Amino acid sequence: MLTKIMPQGFIEGIIFLIKEYYPLFLDGIKYTVIISLTGTLLGLLLALIITPIKTATISKRDRIMLIIFKRCGICLATLYVEILRGTPMMVQAVIFYYGLRGMGIDMSINFFGILYIPGIIVSGITIVSVNTSAYIIEVLRGSINAIDKGQMEAARSLGMTKLQALLKIIIPQALRNCIPAIGNEFVINIKDTSVLSVIAVTELFYMTKRINSIYYRQTEGFIIAAIIYLILTFTTTRLLYWISNKLGNRKQLTYPTSQSY
Amino acid sequence: METILEIKHLNKRFGNKLVLKDLNLTVKKGEVVCIIGPSGSGKSTFLRCLNLLEEPNSGEIIFEGHNLIAKSADLDRLRMKMGMVFQNFNLFNNLNVLNNCIIGQTKVLKRKKTEAIKIALELLKQVGMEAYINETASNLSGGQKQRVAISRALAMNPKIMLFDEPTSALDPEMIGDVLNVMRNLASTGLTLIVVTHEMDFAKEVANTIVFMDQGQILETNNPEVIFNNPKHQRTKTFLKRVIEKK
Ligand SMILES: Nc1ncnc2c1ncn2[C@@H]1O[C@H](COP(=O)(O)OP(=O)(O)O)[C@@H](O)[C@H]1O
Ligand SMILES: [Mg+2]
Repeated sequence: MLTKIMPQGFIEGIIFLIKEYYPLFLDGIKYTVIISLTGTLLGLLLALIITPIKTATISKRDRIMLIIFKRCGICLATLYVEILRGTPMMVQAVIFYYGLRGMGIDMSINFFGILYIPGIIVSGITIVSVNTSAYIIEVLRGSINAIDKGQMEAARSLGMTKLQALLKIIIPQALRNCIPAIGNEFVINIKDTSVLSVIAVTELFYMTKRINSIYYRQTEGFIIAAIIYLILTFTTTRLLYWISNKLGNRKQLTYPTSQSY
Repeated sequence: METILEIKHLNKRFGNKLVLKDLNLTVKKGEVVCIIGPSGSGKSTFLRCLNLLEEPNSGEIIFEGHNLIAKSADLDRLRMKMGMVFQNFNLFNNLNVLNNCIIGQTKVLKRKKTEAIKIALELLKQVGMEAYINETASNLSGGQKQRVAISRALAMNPKIMLFDEPTSALDPEMIGDVLNVMRNLASTGLTLIVVTHEMDFAKEVANTIVFMDQGQILETNNPEVIFNNPKHQRTKTFLKRVIEKK
């Protein structure tokens, strides 16, 4: 197939790229949305598992093995959060990717031939999930601390264990309060999945670079990408705001900022 | 009568401040004990020590033959036998009225859901709250919340009920409803320990009155003696002030 000539003008160039390469942009959008959405949801799931470990308290009554177990858990969970929040996702991505490659591990998932997910997408989702979980753990922890202490006391006075009280009483309330913050994480992820282009995840930014390289012209393609990102984040923010209102959360969504500095 | 709870030489400090000083008290099965005293005297802390919401620094709390302060005590098992009702209700905000009264039964006592619902409905009916089972706590008045909170505690079939100023956060017209529920409880022979400022209630319902001041139990006696012939000057002063206020 012969490549067509790209027109000289700026606007013409943009129109040309959209017309000729929209399937590639759509593909990029698809992976950006899939990776940021599943990454946020799995990140939330990870956070729900790790937060009780990180917020464990040691009581004088605990048996020695339990104390050791809790201390190790708290240490590991703290380390996990500090490392993930203290390093750029881009660096995390390359370490993960080259680390796996070095060990010869194939990340692709094949559900009985029905659903095949390429290894690079699974890697992308894993990186975003793990990275996001660290931020959500902190959000969740703050939200748990903000719940009236009387809720925990009432639960304990019925004979519930601390874990039962957390899972049945405290976390459901905390989770509801931090829906806007979790929504923000999703919006942030839509933008920050662009760093996965360093390991050739075929999300929007990577696809744009590929299109740009055909004509050695950069600006037009990236302008299109910027507009697409803006549309994605704008609609997502409105959607989340609407959902949040439906659930009776009065706290407004603050405009998200990037985490990958 | 059989002793259900025995407190010996109980001490509790917050930081350097000793807030409970060598408390001793014996509670018999079916007894109603009212704890009175000025605010800040340690009444709440004492009550919260009894089910170990606060960890005492020394002493013994012997409940059904087990010392709760011993490290080996199975707190979760013992706590479910002691109901607690708080001044500010502490209904679970994520659950409706019925589920507030069920969750302890199913999660702690491992009752079947259908059985738990039956018990909860019966108890809510007794306090006149059966019409509100689907409401969340935020839609109830203070008096209604407190009646649900009492049902929630009773659903665990406790051996003792602890009340920490259950009517202090209520509007005056709500107080009577809650006190009536407690009167009924007392008549069923359940052991009650009640921190209260409702002197008429204490006079009428209590078998024993404990007067606390500055972290100490100054007097323990029956209502007639405490209200008519207190031994301590500070008890006299306190009662005089409370009655004048009315
Ligand atoms: N969690 C706490 N930390 C520090 N001091 C406390 C705490 N709870 C209560 N106190 C102090 O202990 C004393 C007794 O308080 P409390 O038991 O609430 O009294 P009461 O219920 O009789 O009003 C007060 O001086 C109070 O300031
Ligand atoms: Mg008090």
